[in-house]
Amino acid sequence: MKPPWKFLTLADQLLIACLALLGVLGLAWSLSAPRGQRVMVSVSDRLVYLGSLDKEDMVELSGPVGKTVLTVDHQGARITAAPCPLKVCMTMGPAVQQGDILACVPNRVLVEIEGGASQPADYDLLSH
Amino acid sequence: MTSSATNPLDPGQVRRQTYLALFTALAITVHTLEVLLPSPVPWFRLGLANVLTVVILFLYDSRAAWSLTLMRIGLGALLLGRLFSPGFWLSLAGGILATLLMCLARRHCGPLFSPVGISVIGATGHAVGQFLVAWAIVIQHEAIWKIFPIFLFTSVAAGLLTGWMAAVLLNYLMAHPVFSSKTNG
Repeated sequence: MKPPWKFLTLADQLLIACLALLGVLGLAWSLSAPRGQRVMVSVSDRLVYLGSLDKEDMVELSGPVGKTVLTVDHQGARITAAPCPLKVCMTMGPAVQQGDILACVPNRVLVEIEGGASQPADYDLLSH
Repeated sequence: MTSSATNPLDPGQVRRQTYLALFTALAITVHTLEVLLPSPVPWFRLGLANVLTVVILFLYDSRAAWSLTLMRIGLGALLLGRLFSPGFWLSLAGGILATLLMCLARRHCGPLFSPVGISVIGATGHAVGQFLVAWAIVIQHEAIWKIFPIFLFTSVAAGLLTGWMAAVLLNYLMAHPVFSSKTNG
């Protein structure tokens, strides 16, 4: 049996190299986001929880399928219990960066990490 | 399959239909087994059915690949009881974009890409299609694109693996008298 690389044509190699580069760039971009400040949770598009990422907390969120448990601790925000069969959301965490989300699709739960200190408001106005 | 005297069929056509039916049955079986088997990461699957799509695309043509993909997704969802669920739409979108890109690449770039390259194109299309639909109907939040790079890596890796399997399988099949008379495309 021929090893995998024996099948690759030049176009294949270029394609794979381009995709790998794209993936690395995308990964660098997504990892470069600053640490978030607030945890915002909505269930069925309704805001149900707003808390600080630095304060440890545990919240039970009732959705259409059952109870989803959100834990906020030093690691970040993560889902620690979910009523859905696949429990995809439990493998998505912990979320710490600004813009990170945890979504529990069957239970319609969406956890978002928001940035707080976007611009330090040291000055109200600068004039020269 | 038989061809009756009142409905004379071209033997080549009958053979094509028979093999297409066989491949479709195999694709549905593989797809269903893969969904039912436990996986360490719930959203990750290798996409073994893609091996058969790539093989049929190389053995026959775009039409065969389309009918294989659509039948596999439709009947597979019916068997698993998830027709019209969010997972079904994700699967359908991924399947459609993957097949579209693979057929286009095969038709317009012909011998430039090996089965492995075609499979990687399909895997990328599958990931993009799933994300577009997830973004449009399931999560509706642009932040899902943050996890796309990881998704892309795993998809390309899965595409490489299934493409390699397809290439090996094609090597065996092309040597078989049933297919050896046919040229690519």
